[in-house]
Amino acid sequence: MNFDLNLILESLPQMLAGFGITLKLLVVSGILGFILAVLLLLMRISGKFYLNWVAQVYIYVFRGTPILVQIFIVYYGLPQFEAVRESFLWPILREPTGCAILALTLNTGAYVSEILRGGVLGVDKGLLEAGSALGMSARQKFIYLTAPIATRLALPAYSNDVISLLKSTALASTITIADMTGIARTIVAETYAPYEIYTSLAIVYMIFTLGLQKLFGVIERYLGRYTRREE
Amino acid sequence: MEVLTGWWDDYLWGAVIVAKVFMASLSLMILFGLLGAGAKLSNNKLAQKIAGAYTVIFRGTPEILVILLLYFGSAIALTAIAKIFNPDVRFVDVPPFWAGTIAIALIVGSYATETFRGAFLAVKPGSIEAARALGMSTLQTFIYIRIPEMWRIALPPFGNNMLSLVKDTALISIIGLNETLFVAKQAITVTGKPFTMYIVVGLIYLGFSTLITLSVMGMEKYGNRTTVGAR
Amino acid sequence: MRLITKKLLAISAVAMFSTMNVSAETLRVGMECTYAPFNYKTADGELAGYDVDVAKGVAQIIGAEFEYVCQEWDGMIPALLANKFDLIIASMSITDKRMEKIDFTGPYRFSTGQILGAKKTEVNLFDDAGNPIPENFKGLKVGLERATTYSDWFEQTLPGAEVLLYDNSEAIYLDLQNGRVDLIMTNPMKAHLKFLSKEDGAGFEFKGPVVDEVEFFGIGVGIGLRQGESELKAKLDGALKELINSGDLESYAKKIFPFKLHKDEWGQ
Repeated sequence: MNFDLNLILESLPQMLAGFGITLKLLVVSGILGFILAVLLLLMRISGKFYLNWVAQVYIYVFRGTPILVQIFIVYYGLPQFEAVRESFLWPILREPTGCAILALTLNTGAYVSEILRGGVLGVDKGLLEAGSALGMSARQKFIYLTAPIATRLALPAYSNDVISLLKSTALASTITIADMTGIARTIVAETYAPYEIYTSLAIVYMIFTLGLQKLFGVIERYLGRYTRREE
Repeated sequence: MEVLTGWWDDYLWGAVIVAKVFMASLSLMILFGLLGAGAKLSNNKLAQKIAGAYTVIFRGTPEILVILLLYFGSAIALTAIAKIFNPDVRFVDVPPFWAGTIAIALIVGSYATETFRGAFLAVKPGSIEAARALGMSTLQTFIYIRIPEMWRIALPPFGNNMLSLVKDTALISIIGLNETLFVAKQAITVTGKPFTMYIVVGLIYLGFSTLITLSVMGMEKYGNRTTVGAR
Repeated sequence: MRLITKKLLAISAVAMFSTMNVSAETLRVGMECTYAPFNYKTADGELAGYDVDVAKGVAQIIGAEFEYVCQEWDGMIPALLANKFDLIIASMSITDKRMEKIDFTGPYRFSTGQILGAKKTEVNLFDDAGNPIPENFKGLKVGLERATTYSDWFEQTLPGAEVLLYDNSEAIYLDLQNGRVDLIMTNPMKAHLKFLSKEDGAGFEFKGPVVDEVEFFGIGVGIGLRQGESELKAKLDGALKELINSGDLESYAKKIFPFKLHKDEWGQ
């Protein structure tokens, strides 16, 4: 197996040109997915069975099917209906980027909502009782006690999910998006050199992942600053 | 629904392939996970390093790249190795089934490494000491105390690993395995109905996920049978 | 498991007996399996189409057993080079660029391209001499399959065009209907048969002349194989010529189209 180093040096800048799109997909669907996750969480702990039920079915369906199938259904499937093509959503669904962000948001929202629920369930009952004893309302308890502690508890699992989301953005290349993977596939199709191109791209993703892990490590330490014992 | 006429059996065979890939990669995933966890827990610095690199690489690279690299790379690498032993060998090949199976087993195995490692570390030292006090040998302690307790702790995350595994099989259509997503692509070529065809794929995967979730619930019930009433 | 075992056996057989006579070999053939009407799977699970007929005809003449491997288009040549299969019979045009990496037999089908768009997209894309007018492509999105003669033609002839690259040819038709792209470039025979003559294609038409510049489209579609296998190439060439001269190739075409897809002189 001879590895063509020149080819890697030539194609790396081309692939990195897609970094902006990869980052955009990650950040936009990450933020929208988080908002969706909070909504789903509120539905689940609302105490109203019909809200809880809808949220549970949603999470079940989106966690139970492959993200690639979800992307295909949103991108290729939905326009099968004339009603979709004439609806107000069409300007978003018309664009591949809009479809990718929608599918990634719907998917990550389901996962993150379960992670947040884990965090909420992990909050010590005693603390909430203490809050009640201080005369806090249910809303105050959620905002001042449950939310910050649950965030800290959920952060390690959340950082794993952000990394999964980053990896899922690579699938956007299947619906014409020229992200890093999309560009790499075009280069491979022209140079017929899958090993060089895909290996160097894999390293780029790995560096990105490690960077994200470091970033979350810093956030974790910051949020956990009150939990460390004084030396 | 009449557009699906004639395609049901193709979907059925596609589902059979998903099941086969799942079963084969499940055994490999457990193997990789145990090896990874064993290496990380061992005192051997080199083994720890290798296992660490393994998890960083496979958790940090998009699944689609791992599959493409293994599919294209395995034949070249194995041929190069075989040529050392027998220069007459023209090539050695890995069929798509095994390239795909090994790829997703490696990916999810890196997550399973953490599952098993976490479970091993979570076994209470008290239980081990109690077993020692009862005069159990190291082997007996391992079989009667450690494994059942690890099993109970590892099951929920292991269930998630299995769900990831079954969902990752959808990516194997990229290397030409005739699984459900590939069947859908073929059906769309003939019928032009993407929504219908992809929804069927989604439902099949939802079925697999349900089966896995139910069996994990059953196993959890079994694993926890001795703890009922103890809390 | 039986199929897989059979496949494994066949593959290891090829690996072990690589020096054996070609005629007794099992050869693996790569194709997309989703490129109707040239190579696709029917609802019965059978491979069908012009390429498949050619493959079966060739197999019979050279006395080899063919096994079919379905491969996405953009990985077709890498997979051939990685020994995932031995032949490409997938409507692949014989271009100079591809010849740098792989070998081809002589042609067995015309290779042409034509631009397709909605009737309501009223614009002259080509001048009277049949040359594209770059300014008139401005603001129009073009859907193309990645790594095809069409994407090469666009890249070289109209570098400024807004191009979206797809993984397979079916998707560009879907997105043309959906309105995500304004134009696609495709095989005119396929377009006519699978799209324009049907209800879905009613609002669409060809937007220019048939393009077949040899520089991009080659002398036609041929069978691809790894370089340095001249013995196999000679056998395949002989078989293709026999198919042309016996009239079988014409009969494959006429199963689908009212005309043949090759030149008789290719049989000389």
